[in-house]
This record gives sequence, C-alpha cells and structure tokens, in this order.
Amino acid sequence: MKSMFRPAPLALTIAATLTAGWANTAWSEEKSEPASKASVVGHYADLAHANYEDALITARALDEATDRLIANPTQENLQAAKQAWLAARVPYQQTEVFRFGNSIVDDWEGQLNAWPLDEGLIDYVKGNDYQHELGNAGATANIIGSSKINVGGESLDVAKLSPELLADLNEVGGSEANVATGYHAVEFLLWGQDLHGFDAGAGERPVTDYAAGSDCTNGNCERRGDYLDAVTDLLISDLKWMVAQWAPGNEGNYRDQLTSADANEGVQKMLFGMGSLSLGELAGERMKVALEANSYEDEHDCFSDNTHNSHYYNGQGIRNIYTGTYRRADGSLVTGPSLSDLVEQINPELDARLNAQLDATMTSLGAMQARAESSQNPMPFDMMIAPGNAEGTEIVNSAIMKLVEQTGSIEQAARELGIEALSPDDAGHTF
Amino acid sequence: MQQLTRLVGVSALALSSALAMTASASDTSLEARKRWHQAIYQGYQSLETEAEDFSQAASTYCSDPTPDARQAVEQDWLAAFLAWQQVRFVDFGPVEHNNLSWQFQFWPDPKNIVARKAGYLLKSDDQIDKDLIKASGVAVQGFPMTEYLLFDEPLNSGANALPTAKTCRLLTAVAHHIETNSEQLSHQWRSLRDHYLANDQYRDSTIRAGMAALEILEERRLAQPMGLRGTGKRSAYAADAWRSGTSLRTIEATIRGLKQHFLPGLSVLLTEAEQSQLARQIAAQFDEVLDNFPTLHRPIDALLSDDKAFAELQGLYMDVSQLATLVNDQAASTLGVVRGFNSSDGD
Repeated sequence: MKSMFRPAPLALTIAATLTAGWANTAWSEEKSEPASKASVVGHYADLAHANYEDALITARALDEATDRLIANPTQENLQAAKQAWLAARVPYQQTEVFRFGNSIVDDWEGQLNAWPLDEGLIDYVKGNDYQHELGNAGATANIIGSSKINVGGESLDVAKLSPELLADLNEVGGSEANVATGYHAVEFLLWGQDLHGFDAGAGERPVTDYAAGSDCTNGNCERRGDYLDAVTDLLISDLKWMVAQWAPGNEGNYRDQLTSADANEGVQKMLFGMGSLSLGELAGERMKVALEANSYEDEHDCFSDNTHNSHYYNGQGIRNIYTGTYRRADGSLVTGPSLSDLVEQINPELDARLNAQLDATMTSLGAMQARAESSQNPMPFDMMIAPGNAEGTEIVNSAIMKLVEQTGSIEQAARELGIEALSPDDAGHTF
Repeated sequence: MQQLTRLVGVSALALSSALAMTASASDTSLEARKRWHQAIYQGYQSLETEAEDFSQAASTYCSDPTPDARQAVEQDWLAAFLAWQQVRFVDFGPVEHNNLSWQFQFWPDPKNIVARKAGYLLKSDDQIDKDLIKASGVAVQGFPMTEYLLFDEPLNSGANALPTAKTCRLLTAVAHHIETNSEQLSHQWRSLRDHYLANDQYRDSTIRAGMAALEILEERRLAQPMGLRGTGKRSAYAADAWRSGTSLRTIEATIRGLKQHFLPGLSVLLTEAEQSQLARQIAAQFDEVLDNFPTLHRPIDALLSDDKAFAELQGLYMDVSQLATLVNDQAASTLGVVRGFNSSDGD
C-alpha cells in the first residue's frame, strides 16, 4: 500500500543535486553590499513569507483534493488526497523552524500541527491497541459519531460540524492530546489508525468510510465528510492569517514589528529557532524518545508513516535559515543575506564548519528517507525504532548525532554574533 | 502552544570558551570541581547502596511474599528512587553513556508506555531475564517500571498482581538492572575524577546542570501538573511518581540533592567572585524550599483537588521559582555562565 504514495524519487534527486550546487555560495559574494544583521532579519521574514505561502498553496490543493474525495469517494480520489497531504507537508515542515522564538507562530501552530493526538476524539478507533493520553476525558469522545459529546462532565453540542466548532474543540477538557484540527487530524481522516505496530504497513482506512447510503462503512460517512471538509477549510484560513503576518507592506503585522525592532532580537530568534528545533525537538522529542523507549506512540506521522519526511523537512528548514535559501514548491529559489554571511565575516572557519554540519545532517536525514522509501523492504520510521533493530537504530542515532553536533556550532555562532542569552520568550509561563 | 516535553539526554557541548581565566579564578574553579566531584560521588555511592538493598528486598519478597516483605520492598524502592532524585541533576559524564539517565527514569510518560510495555512482557512467552531487560528499551529499565509493578492499582487488583511468578520475575530483573547500572555509574564517576579536575569546561557544565535541574523542577515537575502552563489543566499524571503518591517527596529529594551535592561548589565560586552575600541568600532559599516539607508529603492528586492544599503547593512553587531566579539568573550571570540550548527546549 505504501509504495503507491511515495513522492517521485526523481524529483527528490534533482532537488538534492541543485542543493549541492548553490549551498556554498554566500549571497553577499555576488552583491556589493555586505550582509548586515538588519538585512539578514529582513530576509528571514522573506523566507518565512515564501514558506508560509507555499504551505497555503499546497493546503489549497489538499482542500480541493479532499473536496473531490467527499463528492466522489473513489480509490483514485482517496489516493490523490493522500498525495496532496504528503505534498502539503513538505513546505509546512520547513516552517517549523519559525516556531521557536517567534511566539506568534508558537501560539498559533497547535491548531495546525499539534501532536501526538488522541484520535478517538475525532472518529471511531478499533482494537485494544489504542493508547490515549493518561487522564484524557475526551480520548474516546468520537465527534463524528455523536451529535453531543461529554468531556469531563461538560456536555457539548457537536451536531453541526463547522471550522469554528472544530477550532473550539481543540484541547477540549484541557488535554493537549485532544487535537480536533490540523494536518494530523486530516491525516487520520485519510489514512485511519495504523494498527500494524512495529510491522510493515500504515493506516488502512477504506474509501467506503466516505461512501453514501448502504455502502458506508463504519457509520456516519456523511458526517465524516463534513468533518474533513471543515477541518481542511480551517487549515486554509489559519495559513492565510500567518501569510499575512509575514507579508511585506502590512503595517503593524508581525513582520513589521520584527523588522523595526533591534536586529539583535531578530538574529536571536533565528538562532534560537534553529537550535531548539535541532536539539530539544527534532533530535530529542521526535527521535530519541521514540527510539530509546521503542515507542511507536511517539512516531510523528503515525497514520501515514510519513515520519521520515517530516524529519527531513524539519532539518531542511533549519538549514534554510542559516543559508538564507529556500527552494519553493514551484522549484524557484529564494536567496538573500544570511546568517552564514554574517558568521563568515567574523569567523570563516566556523561558518564553513556549520555549513558542513548542516549538510551532514541532511545527508543523514536523506539516508533515513531513502531507507524508509526504498523499493526493496522499505523500513519506515516505526520499524526503525522497533526493539532489536540494529540497522534502524544506527540510522536514527546517526541523525540524532548530526543534529547534536550542529547545535554546538549554532551556540558558538550565537556567542560570536554577540547574542548573550539564548533564552526563549516566556510564552506559556503564566504564573 | 506548550506541550509535554520529555527530558532529553542529549546535550550540545560548549565547544570553546572565550573566557580567559586568571590564575586565581582557575584555582577557585579547581577547588569547586574538587568539591563537586566528591559530593556527586557520595550521592552516586548512596544510590548504589540503596539500589543494592532494593534489589535484595525484591528477591526476598518474591521468594517469600509475606506482608512484611512487601512493605520492605516498597520502602526500599522509595529509598533507592529518592537517592536517584538527589543526583538526578547531573546530566553530563557517565550518566550520559548508554542513556543511563533515561534508564533510571523514563519521564514523563503521558502515553503510559510503561504500562504498555509491562503488559506486553507479562503476556509474551519470552523468558524474563537480564538480557531481555537489556533489550527492552528505557521504559522498561528503571524506577517507573518497578513503581508500576509495586503500586499500580489496576495491575495489583488483576490476575498479574504481585507476587505472581512472572510479575515477580520482571520486578527482580528490573531491580537487578537498576542495581547494575548504579554500580557502573558510581565506578565510572570515580574514574572520571582526573579528567573532571583537569578540564575547566566542567565548571560550566556542572553549573548548567544545576540550572537545568531547577528549571525542570519549576516548569515541568511543578508548573505542568499544577496547570500553570500549557492548557491550564491540573493533572497528577504530569508529575513524577504519581502511582506511589510520592511526587512531592521526589521534589524534596532533588532539592536536598542540589543543596548537598551542587551548592557547596557553587558557593566556593560565588565567594571567590566576592558574592558571598548571594551565596548566603541561595543557601537560605534552599532552606525556605525545604521548610515546605514534610507538610507537603501528600500524594499530588490530593494537593491538586483541594484548594487549601493547592495554596500550599503554590507556596512551594513560589519558593522554588525564587531559588531558580537566584541561581539561574543572578549566580549564573555573576559567574558568566550563558544558558545554551538544552533538552527541555522544544515544545
């Protein structure tokens, strides 16, 4: 089943070849003006804008594909919707590097990408293999199967499924695992639960879960379609809002604030985002925990088995910020003054080292991606982390080590650029 | 959007230090490192002793499961777990090898992986022995698993309740694994001595370890279950050791451990930097925090569900925050220690 949904390997190969060509040419070498902190922060906003625009463009394609699926639930339309979801993840995962440090993104992203989720909140779940978050009263609420749900003593009317209702249901009952919206909700609605554990195979939701009348499997097909329609619409309105925050010429938007503030603050946010995603989040939370506990509950894209690509494009996002380059969804390249230019001005050796480390990370993540998608015995991430899988452990550990190494150089770059503290904003510290 | 974050045993090494040390600062740093090495060694030795007792008590109980033996193994479990809490702040050196730190305590565990792994092992036909424990991942290998076997209510009211043979085999095998790891940790720390004393970088590593422990204590171990961050929901499951009702005792032990094994070295550095006033303030604040005990020795769910008890918990939280400010802001900036990326970054 998996092999049908793989992104074309050829396109990936070409992208990788192009990448090798442009990465080592710093933008400022071709321009007369040397990069300054202010110009680097300005270009950072350009990168964010282009990246969120791509997330929006690909989400629109996903929305159209799911609309076709709902109107005409055929196997082909289900596959096309899955392909569109996979394509939409490519730009979105690259934007995750903007989360840490920019609280406007961090406060917003839960509605789009929260994880892990207790999918029993949304729809039916099967088997005693469903493990939800401890103490989550909404873990089996099944919104699709109910007109009213009761979460922790609170009764909620869910008869009419709208984007607004789903947004309100996010984190219902105070549990972060109650994710009613975003990419992973859509993923669950397209793939269904992965009941294979450490074995080969992803979720296998039948297309007849969207069929009309007596062909409908597992009940509530019309409401399932309504849910999918509402949740994809919400994704688009959320992404539109974020694109506007980074758009040039919008007085008072986030970009305006960021680029008018002290440039050191912007540089601090850039480095903090790179380091936090590298170490605590990607190497730690998303890989090491899953590996060391042999826990497929900690697999990021657990329904689709697309975790390797989520990791790969997270890594790419980190590299984008340092090199000031972003390969858009249409293949065009965004370039401009970069952190790499700034570091090169003061310590060329460090700049060369960090660039090499970022490349090495992408090589490791690329090896993970290739192994997960290989035509012979593919080994997706949930198989790599199985107990006793020496080859899988090696692949995951190698990526972790590369991320740890690059974080050391990011810290050094911060010091040399005069960034005193790498503390994040106090987002979430409510006391 | 803050989500639960597991504490990750990966750390980026500070690769270079721009600080040019004066001779006297170096001497002081050496003196501080001597104290730290010795104090942490004592902490590790105590963990080794307590883990040995726990492993022994588990075997005794399983060979003759009397109520007294059960009480003894529960007490010895707690003593060993609290000995670990005292040295839990050390996040560098041998405890990093082989994820020893995670092996001792995989936490937090919002998805209840510990229970899931136990269920799997108790059901499988595999012989439960030390090799199986070795191969079973960090959720199986430490204190949370033994806590689950001894204290989990659903387990202990079901068919697999202790002292069922297979559950007993799992308990004794994991207790033995903890014992072996404790011995190894204590020996390796002793062997690290010359290297630790010869390398001035350990000054900052050790200070950062104390800083990170206080940050984790304040944010993850208190604010998170208290509902002061994230979604604002109070949840005992976000705390340490909720099954045995000892969450607050673990917090007390961590504070005691920092006072005993971390503060003396820090005080040497502060005094040398003519900040003995700050050193005294920090020492006094440790006592302020500890004054909350033993009054707060209650299961955390009881403290979260009762407003009067919750107010006491808030008092502790305020005292811990104050301590974290003194150490992580004031002392760290005085000593020129910059917070780097750490494992609790991320969401």
